[in-house]
Amino acid sequence: MAGQSDPQLSLFSAEEVEFIAEDEMVEIVPNLRMDALNFVCGDFGPFFPQLATQVPLWLAVALKKRGKCTIRPPQWMTVEKLTQVLEAERDSQRVFEQLPFHYVEISRLLFDHARDDIPDVYMVRSLIEDIRDVRFHKVETNLESLNERAFALKINNLSAMEVNIVRPFVGRALQAFYKHDSPDLIPDQDRVSDRRPQVANNATRRHLRR
Amino acid sequence: MAKYYDIDDIITDEEIVAVIFQKAASGVGIDPSSETDCVEVGSKVELPFWLAHELQQRQAVSMNIPTSFNQNTRLEIQADSACVDLRSRCPYFYEFGCKIAPLVGARNIGPLLLSAFKSRYKEVLTKAHTAAFTAASKNLTILTKEETNLYEAAQSSMAAFKKWRMGGPRFQKASILGRKRKSTE
Repeated sequence: MAGQSDPQLSLFSAEEVEFIAEDEMVEIVPNLRMDALNFVCGDFGPFFPQLATQVPLWLAVALKKRGKCTIRPPQWMTVEKLTQVLEAERDSQRVFEQLPFHYVEISRLLFDHARDDIPDVYMVRSLIEDIRDVRFHKVETNLESLNERAFALKINNLSAMEVNIVRPFVGRALQAFYKHDSPDLIPDQDRVSDRRPQVANNATRRHLRR
Repeated sequence: MAKYYDIDDIITDEEIVAVIFQKAASGVGIDPSSETDCVEVGSKVELPFWLAHELQQRQAVSMNIPTSFNQNTRLEIQADSACVDLRSRCPYFYEFGCKIAPLVGARNIGPLLLSAFKSRYKEVLTKAHTAAFTAASKNLTILTKEETNLYEAAQSSMAAFKKWRMGGPRFQKASILGRKRKSTE
């Protein structure tokens, strides 16, 4: 894939995933007046004081660094919502909760740059860490069920950073399983045409952005 | 032919196979234990795989099952495959098995490989992503090259993620800038 830092491992580096995450829109409240900004990706503004606008995250962080706005945390980033998500994650063994695709990166960027804009920032931070741990543990448990019948893996509601971490491992493991299961190596096994992936959670596929 | 340049493939071909010569060969110093340069019919010689493969295609030798796949190993794998030290027997266990299987004519190598890999894979998985460095070193020495690849892939991606999470400067200074200019005196 183009744009990877290490094509051998088919891995995006964490910074690259963060870079992609910065395209998400967030809401900001500017504190001064500015004309419309014209960028290649679109036009944003004009900005009026105390009127909320939607801008991409990279622009929000840049404005925040210059002290020109405050960032409003996204809807999912409240203590109540996150506690709910955490409870749901802990309850089910195979199902992942619906979280924004880039929640790890967005939360980290907001903690780094807009710490004072988030109410209960320590609580939110620890909740997100817990959610991340629980989800990752779930991913690992589910991966143990891979066996030779699986040649594709489908896990729903997994976020970008989690996918990035397991991507090289899962790719290689699936390849190895496929190689060892080829018909000339195992002549006696009856080749059932039932080659469905093992982790078969039924839900919609995630649509790639634009 | 796609594997011609693959280093792992080349080293896999270096593994030793015991063969039995069907035709006499003269003038070759293959067998180090014989006094003369000739190899008799029916004598057992240890050859690297690439040579044995070629000779088998010309029907000059017949290959036996290599020692890495013999009954001892098979029993050990069936007992507890996660602890079998595959690297000391044959660091390219799986690749070599895949190559040998159609040539030697033993039908049970394939399933053996598969079952061994399946059970060892679970071990690799659990240790790969999360284990601390010291705890994992015992497991590392018994993995074959292929499993080590898997393990390292997971380790490096996890380490990169952790490093990113710690924060730190987002720009990396080019190493050439850090070098101080040496004084010329």
